[in-house]
Amino acid sequence: MKKVLQITLGIVTSVGGFLEIGSITTAAQAGASFGYQLVWAIVVGTICIAFLVEMAGRFAAVSKRTIPDAMRERFGINFFAVPLVVMFAVSLLVLAAEMGGIAAALEMATGISLPVWAIPVGLVAWGLLWRATFSVIENGVSFLGLVTIAFAVGAARLHPDYGAVLRGMAPTLPRSNATHYWFVAVSVLGASISPYLYYFYSSGAIEEKWDVTYLAANRLIAGIGMSFGGFLSVAVLVLAAILFHPRGVDVQHYQQLPGLLTPIFGRAGFWLVIASLGVACLGATLEIALAIAYLIAQGLGWNWGEDLEPRDDARFALTYTLLVAAAALFVLAGVDPLELTQISMSLTAASLPVGVFPFLILMNDKKYLGGHTNGYAGNAVVLVISLLAAVLGVVSIPLEIVGG
Amino acid sequence: MHLVAEVLDEQIVDNKGRRAGRVDGIVLELRDGKPPRVAYIEVGPITLLARFNRRLARWYARWDERFGEGRGVPFRIPWTRVTRDRDACRLDMDADATPIFALEDWLRRHIVEHLPGA
Repeated sequence: MKKVLQITLGIVTSVGGFLEIGSITTAAQAGASFGYQLVWAIVVGTICIAFLVEMAGRFAAVSKRTIPDAMRERFGINFFAVPLVVMFAVSLLVLAAEMGGIAAALEMATGISLPVWAIPVGLVAWGLLWRATFSVIENGVSFLGLVTIAFAVGAARLHPDYGAVLRGMAPTLPRSNATHYWFVAVSVLGASISPYLYYFYSSGAIEEKWDVTYLAANRLIAGIGMSFGGFLSVAVLVLAAILFHPRGVDVQHYQQLPGLLTPIFGRAGFWLVIASLGVACLGATLEIALAIAYLIAQGLGWNWGEDLEPRDDARFALTYTLLVAAAALFVLAGVDPLELTQISMSLTAASLPVGVFPFLILMNDKKYLGGHTNGYAGNAVVLVISLLAAVLGVVSIPLEIVGG
Repeated sequence: MHLVAEVLDEQIVDNKGRRAGRVDGIVLELRDGKPPRVAYIEVGPITLLARFNRRLARWYARWDERFGEGRGVPFRIPWTRVTRDRDACRLDMDADATPIFALEDWLRRHIVEHLPGA
């Protein structure tokens, strides 16, 4: 009975925690610019992240190690420094984008301009990290994140052409504006396959003391939770495809986001988008700040744990403090959260193999996993998708920049 | 025992069960006519940085030296006080009695304890 509850909770939190500024805006941009044609990018990204999350949970449950922990141990500091630095840099940009998302929601709700919110947002995020336990952060914020289901309800109300949505699941070549098509596809992939998500998940499994009896639960949580999360992203894409695409509206400002639900729910729709954006970005902010702090603390062997008091893991606690402060500076400087999101999501995609390849080597190491190493399917899916995302990213980012 | 694969970069845990850094370096003792043996493990930024760049390590050591006696050189733990198991290298000592937690303690006393809610 306890297991059933835990599985339900795990699924609910993955659904509530799936959407954040990255998936909302990239899905909206995909739908607005290309109708249903880019549904495949969400599907492919979701399959990849589901596999990665399952692997991260299995790895932690069997080896009793988090991913950075084992990476340092297995490959040594000289190699580990590469994923450490790359993931640190990219995740910091994502963190700044998420905090910008909260500030954007607050700006739309109050009319007070975005940079003013940098410090209050930073303080609230920091206060939660400083005082709350791991389960409060993971479960509490993710439960509130269920407000994002509003997107699915809204999309269903519009009676989309389900056949066309299904056809969009098959990857197709662009019919027009090829550069932008691939760039948006890459951003969607980067938003779905966020490395912080599976790194965070592996630390969570250690914080919650998982063992091999959790393997079945882990598979269900990863599979069902991520699928529902991807389903919500598709809902956002469908909304944009129906409401924005026919009118030739591109999503270039976060102020356009409420337009995803206001035609359906009126004023309530406005508040649903604000709440979704604010809560989802707050959840992601906490998870990313922790994920980066975990990465550094585990790589260097510090004492760490969100359930410890800050005085018992001073370096860990001060690391996430500095991260939140640094990310708040981006918001304070008035960097546009939407542009930051696009840049950070495409960089995430382009840098995927840096974190994914060493992780796959660990997942095939009998010393860590005994009889629970990866099968061929898992290896192939993750390898092919992350390579695809990286190649597309490396090619399309410069082209998009050149093309403005 | 394969030193690089099995000891280097392992997690260190002290006798109170706290994570106390990683094995950043291994010191071998060369003996006449006998095989070398492990004398110490080293922990801390000076040793870690030396694995990337000696100059960087020297620069850090000079800075570290200002913080008191015994600082500015890599911290060594005699191999006899280390036992290895599947998950970690375990010390038979309290890491509080070593420089391993020096920075941690300094940050706690000077910053963390002055912040609200700590």
